[in-house]
Formats: sequence, C-alpha cells, structure tokens
Amino acid sequence: MLNWKFIDEIFLYDGTFDGLLTIVFDCYISKRLPQKIVPKDEYVQNILDKTSFIETDFEKSSKVFEGIHKNICNDALYNAYYAFLSANRSGICDNKEIEIVKFLLKGFVVGPKIMTMLSVSYVLNVFKLRKNMLAEAHKLKGLVRLQEIGDNVFYSSIHPENNVIENIGHFFMKRFPMQNLILHDKNRQIAFLYNTKKYEIIDVNDNITPTITKEEKEFQTLWKTFFKTIAIKERTNKRCQMQYMPKKYWQDLVEMK
Amino acid sequence: MDIEEKLKILADSAKYDASCSSSGSSRTNKNGIGNGDVSGICHSWGADGRCISLLKILMSNCCMYDCKYCINRSSNTVKRATFTSREVADLTIGFYKRNYIEGLFLSSAVIKSPDYTMELLYQTISILRNEYHFNGYIHTKTIPGSSPELIDKLGKLVDRMSINIELPSSDSLKLLAPEKSKSDILTPMKYVANSINNSKLLLQESSSKYHLKPKKESFVPAGQTTQLIVGATPETDLKIMKLSENLYNKIKLKRVYYSAYISVNEDKNLPTLKVPPLLRENRLYQADWLLRFYGFKADELLNEKNPNFNTMLDPKCEWALRNIDFFPIEINTAGYYKLLRVPGIGVTSAKRIMTARRESKLNFDNLKKLGVVLKRAQYFITCNGKYFDKICYFNQSFISSNLMYLERQNLPSPDYFQTSLFDDLLPTKGDKIKCLTGNL
Ligand code: SF4
Repeated sequence: MLNWKFIDEIFLYDGTFDGLLTIVFDCYISKRLPQKIVPKDEYVQNILDKTSFIETDFEKSSKVFEGIHKNICNDALYNAYYAFLSANRSGICDNKEIEIVKFLLKGFVVGPKIMTMLSVSYVLNVFKLRKNMLAEAHKLKGLVRLQEIGDNVFYSSIHPENNVIENIGHFFMKRFPMQNLILHDKNRQIAFLYNTKKYEIIDVNDNITPTITKEEKEFQTLWKTFFKTIAIKERTNKRCQMQYMPKKYWQDLVEMK
Repeated sequence: MDIEEKLKILADSAKYDASCSSSGSSRTNKNGIGNGDVSGICHSWGADGRCISLLKILMSNCCMYDCKYCINRSSNTVKRATFTSREVADLTIGFYKRNYIEGLFLSSAVIKSPDYTMELLYQTISILRNEYHFNGYIHTKTIPGSSPELIDKLGKLVDRMSINIELPSSDSLKLLAPEKSKSDILTPMKYVANSINNSKLLLQESSSKYHLKPKKESFVPAGQTTQLIVGATPETDLKIMKLSENLYNKIKLKRVYYSAYISVNEDKNLPTLKVPPLLRENRLYQADWLLRFYGFKADELLNEKNPNFNTMLDPKCEWALRNIDFFPIEINTAGYYKLLRVPGIGVTSAKRIMTARRESKLNFDNLKKLGVVLKRAQYFITCNGKYFDKICYFNQSFISSNLMYLERQNLPSPDYFQTSLFDDLLPTKGDKIKCLTGNL
C-alpha cells in the first residue's frame, strides 16, 4: 500500500488533466491524499464536506508529466490520460480521479512495474477505465456518420459517454486527410475541427444543425437501401443488433433514423 | 435501370456471404483517401445482427451456371443486373467518405466466362486503387476457373481474396454445383496461397538484405478465406472440421466461414429445411476458434464415435467432459495452452493470469478481480491446490448437468427460431442471447 496519509477533505479542481496532475504534484510533496477529487462544476454542496480548491499550476503539471515519462513509462501516461477521459458511469470505482492519482503516486515508487500490478485494485481500475474509454472510441470509429454540408465539408454529431473526441478526431484526420471535418460532441458541447492542414478542439455554444447537400441526400438514400437489403430475413435478430449497436447511438445514425 | 435499383438487386444477391471482416490490412494513406485498420472496424449492424463493415455487392448476378442452392442460378427467373466498373467505384468512394464502410467486398456471378468476370473485377479495383488512390480495404472473390495472369493482376491490388469451397466434399459439389469442379476451386486457391507465400518471402529477403522497410506492394496482404454451406449435404461436423484443419494448415487460409443452409430453391437434390441450422453453424464457429487460437486438433474435438457436436453444449465443454482426467488444472503453474483448455477461460483471461501470477500467487478472489468468469471454470481448476468453494471432487455427470444448465440460459429464445422445435428444451433468458453470426 501507499504510505500516504488520508486527510478528511475533498479536493476540487478545474476538470482538466493539468489540474489533476497539479494535484498529483501537491500530494507527492505533502504525502497526503484527499478522500475524493471532483471537478468543481460537478461538485454537489454538502454541509459536512471540507473542501479545498486546487488551482491548476502548469509548472507543477508539466513537472509531473515529465516525471511520468522519465520515471514510470509512456504507457502509464497514456493509461492515466485515457482513464481521465473515461466516464465512470458504469461504476468501475467510486471516484476515478483518486484512482488515477494513486496509480501515478505508486508508479513513482515502483517504476514501470506498475503496469503489471493488476492485483492492486486502483491499478486494475485505471486499466478498466482506460479500456472503457477506448472501447467506446473504437465503436464510434465505425458509427460516426459524416454528412456533407458544403463542398468537401463533412459534419457529424455524436453523443458519447466518454470524452473520445480527440482520439477519434485523430483517427478521421488520418483516414480522410483531404476532407474538412467537424466532429461535434453534443453531450459536452465541444467540437473537433480539421481543415486539411491542422486541427483544434473548441467549445460550441449554439446548437447548430447544418443543412446537407443534394448529393449527400442521395447517398443517404442509397445507404439506407443497402442497409435494409443486406440483412437476411430468415435470420432476423433485433436483440443482437441492439446489443452491438445500443439505442443511445441511434439518433446519430443515418440508417436508424 | 437506376443505381438504387441495381444496388438493391446486387446487394440482395451478395447478402448470404458470411465474410465481412475488414481486419489484417495496415495500408497507410499517401495523398489519397482512406487507410486500413489492423483490428478491423464494424460500421453498423443489420436487422439480422450481423456486422456491416464492407459494401458487400455482386458485380453482376447474370450467371451462366446453375448451382442448385443458389438464388441466381441460370434456371431461376429473378431480376438481373450488372454494375459498370465506374458505378461500383463511385459508390464505394461515396460510402467510404461518409464513414459508412471500411471498404469494398466485391463478388460476382459468372458472367460470359470466368476470365471475362475476373477482368470486370480487375477494371473496377483498378479505378479505385490507381485513379482514386483509395487505400481502404478491398476483398474480392476469385472466380472459379479463372486464369493465373488475372489472379496475379488483381491480387496485387486487393487486401483479401476468397474462393468459396461451397460444399464440404467433391461428391456434394458434383451433386449441387455440377459446373464447378473441385479443381476449378482448388487450383486458384492454391495459386493464390503460393503467391502470398512468395511475396512474403520476397519482402523478408529484401528487408533483411538491404535493411530497408519492406516495399508496400504485396500480394493479398490480409490473406485468403473461404466459405462453405452447412446442412445442405450429409457431411458430419468431423468431416467439416478436418477439412478446415487442412485448409488452415496446408493452404494457410486466414479463415473458413460456415454458412447455415437457407433454402431458397426447390430441387430434388436439396433438403427441405424450414429453418437454417444456425445452432450447428454456431458450434462450428466455436470449434473453428479452438482450432485457430487454442491449439486444439479436429481429432480431439470429435471422433468416429462422436462425429457431430452436441448442440446443447459448447465444443470446449464437451471436450473437457470427455477428458475429465486432464483436470483439475492448477492456475498458478499451468502453461498458457493448458489454461486455454479450461472451459470459461479465454485468451484474455489466460493472458491476464500469466501476467498477474508473476507478481503473486493467485486465489479465487484474485481471479474474480482479474475479470475471470468462474461460472464454468470453477469445476476444472484449483488455486494453490484448493478447489473452489464446496467443489471437492470431479464427477462427470455432476459437472455436465451444471454446465448444461448454464448453457441452456445462453441459447437463443424459441421465437428467434420461429418454430416450436426447441420449445421443450429451452427455458430462456432473453437478455443472454448469443449471436449466431459470422462475426463471433
Ligand atoms: S456460380 Fe453458382 S453459386 Fe455462383 S452465382 Fe452462379 S449459380 Fe450462384
């Protein structure tokens, strides 16, 4: 186990990865761990809680960043980052932030060996969180539907549980380097923009629903026709279809609308 | 005829092909459109629960042959259509750009002659690769009886080729597909296998000799597959498994697909099946998996006395029960392939066990935490010499009845089969439907 002292406090932070790494830094120095770490916006007031807000400090976070790279390994960094982007809705653990912090702190003690210590619960949880996020990202690489909304401009709205936009954005950028892309995460109101040269992730405030081109409409019709035709009637199995393609994704699928 | 009408006819004709995999290609993108994904990506799932990852169509369904089981046989009166090469290429790009698909799976009926058909396929793929610089996944059929020159040309452009064996024995082939001879199918198949092998050797040689990265142009990099129909002819599961084993070992096929026979035609030589033998198909897929990844041999799974799989029990459980002396297996010391023989322990679990036990000895709680499902495995393992919970002896019938019970909950519900055939056998748990599809 870790030799750090647990203090009866809840740490609040700004919800960014840098913010979380700042907390890792502070805990490492003070040898103390809070009960929970929660993004400020998600925190629900409770009269019994003792909270303190930890200001994000880029100097601290980049030190931790470098430190992971040097003293643990790159894989551990990915683990932590992907776990951070993962939603914890399926109840993998109580508080994902604290698991990530423990994972990194222990990593600083044991080095790259941390990646094989699956019988330690917080290590396993970080692996599970990462897997959860990557699984949805992989699924969405297939389920994203790009709609042409102007000459060579393609738009897609998605409603993912995890914060996958950067991961899948990179994927589509490589696959369609000559297409202008807008991936719009409507659950978080952020968008991944790519203009065939560079990309950025921005906040979106308005609820855009772009109009599609005439050619787009024709292809959507053809796709629906194909989709209907390719299923074998004698083997109809809607439950199986739903198991693989959960209903929560249907709103963004051309063929299921 | 407009493109939508053609698409309807030619997708409908292609739908019975089980293969839809898009894995094994790692083409990168250089100034074109698309790339491969080694692990494969599914883009949608049809109403039959099968994964859709490729635009799966026929070039044409105007067939000169008359295979008894086929909807497009020349003696049937069905709507006929033929795409132009340009139409297929444009459709592929249009779908791909919108991320509907991973690529194209182009098959065809035999139109005019095998070589004429192959030439059509080649024209199409050439437009995609050379004119549109498309780097997505392409799988084409090898037309039975086509010439080596055409196979060569096409093989350099595609990721995967397949030629369907169709039926598990040459007698059955004679009976149901009289115009296709065994050699029409096996000769091109072996030819492709050889070319794949040569191209691999060449790549190795050039990269080791000149310390260069291997050249990109390789022959059918994602390998060759085949498909056969199950249940139209009397071959046993043993015979089918032996055939697959040979295809994997001798011809180095990537995959064999099994397709439960669906009757679309009437013929005196065809059985009349109300429902396709989906459960049997599922068992064959499970057994096939055991051949490819678990180190099993066909002879271990079945023998002359038991030539068919028990539809009520999965092949690995069946094997384990017949070889109860092999167990129990000690989790902390058994080797990888031994672990894999335990019912309920798959590749992921076995790997996790191997990693985790390096750190410390494992007990049953550790296993649970690692995500190893003990429902089936509990009967076959020990941890540090101890059995699970109250299990303290090996009794075949005790274990067998327990496993049967578990398996029953996994079987599809009767309404899925649209028949009362299974009614008395199957208490069901609706949410535990196993998907009886080719993408298991
Ligand atoms: S060759 Fe036989 S199986 Fe193929 S399309 Fe023609 S009739 Fe059907």
